[in-house]
Amino acid sequence: MSTHFENRDALSHVVEKKVAGFLSLTESHGTELPGQLSSGADAMRETTLFLLLSWLVLSVEMPVLIAIGVALVAWKSGRSAWLSYARMERLHRLMEEEKHEIEHNRNQEREELKALYRAKGFQGNLLEDVMDVLMADNDRLLRVMLEEELGLSLQAYDHPIKQSMGAFVGSLSAAATFVLSILFLPFWAVVATALCLIGVGAAAAAFFEKNELIPAVIWNLAIAGLSLGLAHFIVELL
Amino acid sequence: MTEELIVNYYNSGKEMNQSPFLAPSSRKWGNNLSLKIAFFSAGLLLLSFFFSLSNPLLGSLFLLLTFFFAGVPALIGAIEDLAAGQLNIDVLMALAAFVSLFIGSGQEGGLLLVLFAFAGALEKSVKSRAKGAIRSLEKLTPKKAFVLRRDGSLIERALSEIRIGEKILVKAGAVIPLDGVVIEGASSVNLVHLTGENLPVSKKPGDDVPAGAHNNEGSITIEVTQESSNSTIAKIVQLITEAQKSRPKLALFLDNMMSRYATFVIISTFAFALLLPLLSSIPYLGAQGSIYRALAFMIAASPCALILAIPIAYLSAISACARKGVILKGGVVLDGLASCNKVALDKTGTLTTGALVCSEVEGATQELLSLALSLEQRADHPIAEAICSYVTNQKIAPVEIQNFRAIFGKGVEAEYRGEKVMLTGCSGCREESKICACLSYKDQKVHFTFEDALRPQARETIEALHKMGLTTVMLSGDHARSAKKVAEDLGIGQWFAGLTPEEKLRYIESDEHLVMVGDGINDAPALARAAIGISMGKMGNATAVDVSDIVLLHDRIDHLSWLFRKARQTRSIVKQNLAIAATAIALAVLPALFGMVPLWLAVILHEGGTVVVGLNALRLLSRR
Repeated sequence: MSTHFENRDALSHVVEKKVAGFLSLTESHGTELPGQLSSGADAMRETTLFLLLSWLVLSVEMPVLIAIGVALVAWKSGRSAWLSYARMERLHRLMEEEKHEIEHNRNQEREELKALYRAKGFQGNLLEDVMDVLMADNDRLLRVMLEEELGLSLQAYDHPIKQSMGAFVGSLSAAATFVLSILFLPFWAVVATALCLIGVGAAAAAFFEKNELIPAVIWNLAIAGLSLGLAHFIVELL
Repeated sequence: MTEELIVNYYNSGKEMNQSPFLAPSSRKWGNNLSLKIAFFSAGLLLLSFFFSLSNPLLGSLFLLLTFFFAGVPALIGAIEDLAAGQLNIDVLMALAAFVSLFIGSGQEGGLLLVLFAFAGALEKSVKSRAKGAIRSLEKLTPKKAFVLRRDGSLIERALSEIRIGEKILVKAGAVIPLDGVVIEGASSVNLVHLTGENLPVSKKPGDDVPAGAHNNEGSITIEVTQESSNSTIAKIVQLITEAQKSRPKLALFLDNMMSRYATFVIISTFAFALLLPLLSSIPYLGAQGSIYRALAFMIAASPCALILAIPIAYLSAISACARKGVILKGGVVLDGLASCNKVALDKTGTLTTGALVCSEVEGATQELLSLALSLEQRADHPIAEAICSYVTNQKIAPVEIQNFRAIFGKGVEAEYRGEKVMLTGCSGCREESKICACLSYKDQKVHFTFEDALRPQARETIEALHKMGLTTVMLSGDHARSAKKVAEDLGIGQWFAGLTPEEKLRYIESDEHLVMVGDGINDAPALARAAIGISMGKMGNATAVDVSDIVLLHDRIDHLSWLFRKARQTRSIVKQNLAIAATAIALAVLPALFGMVPLWLAVILHEGGTVVVGLNALRLLSRR
């Protein structure tokens, strides 16, 4: 058995690589969904929750609330860009590793590819023909390995700056709406506005992730309520 | 094709906005990002200056943003350099900018960062343009080929897997993927994929074909003679890559000097800050304090003009040359070219095109010339082109012929009014080193003699070189009669004929300031030994291209005089830049140290110098 597979068969190696590919899409400090709309929806929810927490539980004054809002907008936008850049860096590193394997471990790559296509039902001469075709073009082979072995999607991510702009718009609109609602609306309407913002953010994220709408909205509102409630009681207790 | 995205990403030098993972609609967000950030930072800094007059807090807020956008990248670069044990100009600049915050001169530090961001963005932009030549060549290179197996079946394989001696099939209309020898079939090929010029050359078994050539009408089987990494087109790509990596001696010297200089300035800054109060009545703090003065000294003494403007000058010149189809091995080549005073030129393929023209026609009548035109219109051969061109210029129309047939390697034949008409090569002429063809119809014959045509603008180019004070000499392996005629036609006073490659090499070795221009493998030793070797990209053999310092990709001899002008202009601009940069530093350093100019003025003097030399260097981007 080649050292390339580290004492595993080709298919086990492929499974491990697929997990590595999947992990590369997640974030170590929370998941940042790809796309400016998803990051906007996420930023809207978090900004609203922090401001609601500051106003309702910590009773901060309006100037401080505005300052927190501005800081949140900067944090959410910057963090979104950073997480997106970090993800691109990981994806490029994976692609670089795969390219190196294609150029230096062609036989092993052929075995991995064969295991993948055998698992898809290809057999005999047809399987060999598929291998010949795929191995003939290194660029195509790299694309196939990225998609089939690592489970990555090409052309699927927004530019970090574009994604950051989504977070900027999401957090700014949430902060502005919340602050204006405090200035012009009664207490209960401010709370309702905040919950609406969280609900809209959750609904948008569910829509982009193709998740079920109602559970997503209710769960997000419930988690926000839990956070606020916990904070309220801890403040009272202390 | 998503594979193209991967290719484009690697060809771009792994530019973020070319990442295959990015959605197509998202790519434009990354275009000129460095320049956009530099402009954005400049806007923020202007707001900071504006608000600092009426509302200092608001001014500081915008300054914070300026430092975030322009300062963080500079800080990362500086820390990475320090971690790698390098004390260079980037470290000096970042240190100066961030330390300025501690003495309440943040806006001066911000100005430094913004100008530094602009200089960096401009350098990146010029580098990106130079990469275009590689991208266009990479697009022409096939990545796979049809390999002929022993059982006669075909299999498509990656070029990197095809070894010397394997047989590949090149279909009509395809680009020849690897250098090889034709072993079966016949066709004509041209180098349109390499040079953009369309001139078919007949190929039959035994003939060499270069990778990158376009196979025209016939399917041919070739035996591979070079692996993909050594093919003609791979060598040209490698040459361009070397041109971008190679740094001129002057630039290398400046890199070393800058590193020492940065160390000196940083140590001096700390020394002035610490020692001035001990040696005089100057306090540590305040606008007249030693720290402030030392910092002003540090900023004024930062030689960013020297380190940024000179690479920009060479990169701009290389980029301008690449866009004109002149590929340089590096800026050092321009230095060398500007120092040369003599140009030695090969004849065939260099001063002449290698394309034939009719120089003499014997026994011609209007009817026979019509017949010649009718026959050769149907053929695809340099002789056919020469005859068609000659007869068409005589305003003679073709006649109708029947049963046209090409006899590969011999000529063409047809029937006219029931009689056979043939146009073939003349064996007798070959012995006299002439290229001839003969038309036979009934008992009549027309004898055509051809000669190699001078390259367009060759005479004007030689004249221009003479006017520039350069001496020219022609080194030919051809016989004396032909060499003399070409030399006289072009106004070249000194010429040598019948030279072997060794004799050419010996001549080149006799002069250290000599440029050699050639195209063939017989010129390769001379090209390699000359102070500067210039080869023809289209006519040039892969070895000649490999050993030369400059490749004229379109075989345009008139680019030679342009190239000398560009080399001299580059050297002149580099000298101007050095003078401007040194003057700016001298004007800023001492007054800053003695407290005669405030920090902001020191920064403007210093960075203003950088911008001026940067703009001066960008003049070299012009293709004129």
